Amino acid sequence: MTQDQDVALSVKNLKTFFYTNKRCNKAVNGVSFDIKKGKTLCIVGESGCGKSVTASTIMQLLPTLSRIEEGEITYHSENGDIRIDQLERNGEKMRSIRGSEIAMIFQDPMTALNPVYTIGFQISESLKYHTDLTRTQYKTRAIELLRDMGISLPESRVDDYPHSYSGGMRQRAMIAMAMSCSPKILIADEPTTALDVTIQAQIFELMDTLKKEHGTAIMLITHDMGVVAELADEVAVMYMGNIVEAGTVDEVLRNPTHPYTRALLASIPVLGKGKHQDITAIPGSTPDPYDRPNGCQFADRCAYRIDACDVMPEETQIGRTHRVMCWRHEEVGANAAE
Amino acid sequence: MLTYVIRRILILIPMALIISFLVYLGLELTPGDAVSHMISPEMMASISAERLDALRVSLGLEQPFIVRYWIWLQGMLQGNFGYSTAGGVAIHAILADRLPATLELSAVALVFSTIFGCVLGVISALKRGSTTDNVLTVTGMLGVSIPEFFFGLVAILIFALKLQWLPVGGRLLPGYDSYWDHLPHVIMPALVLSIMMTAGVMRYARSSMLDALSKEYIKTARSKGLPEWRVNLLHGFRVALTPVIVLIGFRLPVLIGGSVIIEQVFQWPGVGSEFISAVRSQDYPLVMMIALLSVMAVLTASLLVDILTALIDPRVRLDK
Repeated sequence: MTQDQDVALSVKNLKTFFYTNKRCNKAVNGVSFDIKKGKTLCIVGESGCGKSVTASTIMQLLPTLSRIEEGEITYHSENGDIRIDQLERNGEKMRSIRGSEIAMIFQDPMTALNPVYTIGFQISESLKYHTDLTRTQYKTRAIELLRDMGISLPESRVDDYPHSYSGGMRQRAMIAMAMSCSPKILIADEPTTALDVTIQAQIFELMDTLKKEHGTAIMLITHDMGVVAELADEVAVMYMGNIVEAGTVDEVLRNPTHPYTRALLASIPVLGKGKHQDITAIPGSTPDPYDRPNGCQFADRCAYRIDACDVMPEETQIGRTHRVMCWRHEEVGANAAE
Repeated sequence: MLTYVIRRILILIPMALIISFLVYLGLELTPGDAVSHMISPEMMASISAERLDALRVSLGLEQPFIVRYWIWLQGMLQGNFGYSTAGGVAIHAILADRLPATLELSAVALVFSTIFGCVLGVISALKRGSTTDNVLTVTGMLGVSIPEFFFGLVAILIFALKLQWLPVGGRLLPGYDSYWDHLPHVIMPALVLSIMMTAGVMRYARSSMLDALSKEYIKTARSKGLPEWRVNLLHGFRVALTPVIVLIGFRLPVLIGGSVIIEQVFQWPGVGSEFISAVRSQDYPLVMMIALLSVMAVLTASLLVDILTALIDPRVRLDK
């Protein structure tokens, strides 16, 4: 991976482990990627593969019994590089990055907003700590933000409590809150999972506009391949704490070279193919994180398994941006091209 | 909101009437009547039936139950609470004598337990799993589970009998009536009652706070870069406060009714100990009045709790 001007944040060989009852869950086990300015990086994978933990690690929002074991998270700010992994968790430096440089929106807008404060208050909290605005300007700015996010009658809605907002409006309010200090990076952790499909499209459209207008780098966590095809510039596919395949959208979706990526794509129903289309589910289930296979984590469920898979495959760079972790990627790639 | 409060107060009126009726009915069902309480059994035997009847008529006791209830209620509304049968003292005079003592004790305990219970509960929740938390948890469990009278007796044994720092009980010694004279008397009962009540509030505040801290909006607050105190107090404690307010609200009746056990243990001349002695001497009018007052205190407290909850939690809407 080459370091260039456009990279907003780079993650190198990141390992985040959780400790429970003297056992260790290697939730994120050596992950590397770059988030580029004005681009969307989609992280896909099934539940429990480490997507959300990766996001929380970048924000240093991990629970107490977990820590960054190894690796680097470097935020390339305008005033030089900042090693996020070396900052104190809730220290002053970390707090000054959160919300103002890197902002995050969460999966369920129903629970992510505090029920006892007005939307306006919750937006102005960010402004209070990261901008020089005065108390009277908070409200004007909050109304402005809500209007930008497509909330009608923002002048009156700003004083409403979250419970009088609909799900979609709450997520818009969350995005307004996240965008309030014009962050360089927006991390969205499955922002539409809790919303219905029509609202999903609106939220993604909104995020796409923000990316284009403000040049915000977006890291979007999702398990919806449709969303990936629609929004992503780059994709990273995660499985059991590793990125098994990464590259541009075209590379990963049109020419998948990892059996897991292929299996994921084969498991999506296609609209218009009718009721009786074959959907190939991935056999088996993810291994117990406390009792992992030695080699390739996907080996047990993989159609391409060979003896060599008992050893963890190394990451292979198969294009300038395309990389994969599989011993048989050439064959898999050739099959995909058929 | 305002209409709701007014409506709730209006609902209180029929409830109070029903309760007063039930209390009066209860009194009616007790054996004997006012006359048999006024005259000793020995005299009763020597008085003729006509004279007793004449006495009953002069007291209005020959009238039907409902009429007597009506007359009693009118008296009540005019502030005439009736007379204690054990000594003929006006009940309002007894209450005027006892209420300040109870208020003094309960108010101290209520304020102390609210403040310390919340502070310790929040500390315990924030330092979950630490030694501080474990010590507070064990102490809290002890405080909740040890009976008040036992705790009180142990305190008397240590501080009054062994160390002789504080008086055993009572409120005022004859001849001493300045505030400073009775300060030593209030310390021990107030502290014992406070500690018992603090333990409950603390356990409650801790679990409520832990619940709030596990919510997603705490993570949102952190992700905005807010300092920890703001995350914990403004986002965590503010939400955790609602159930704690409910608990404290339902303890408000203690201010009127007093803590029967603590007052008894420390010979504190409050409403609670008066209640016990009234029951013992079968002083039914007094028992009835104290019971009625306590019920009214509970009703008022629950109204207060509802209003407070609506004030601090915007999701609670009272207008429906």
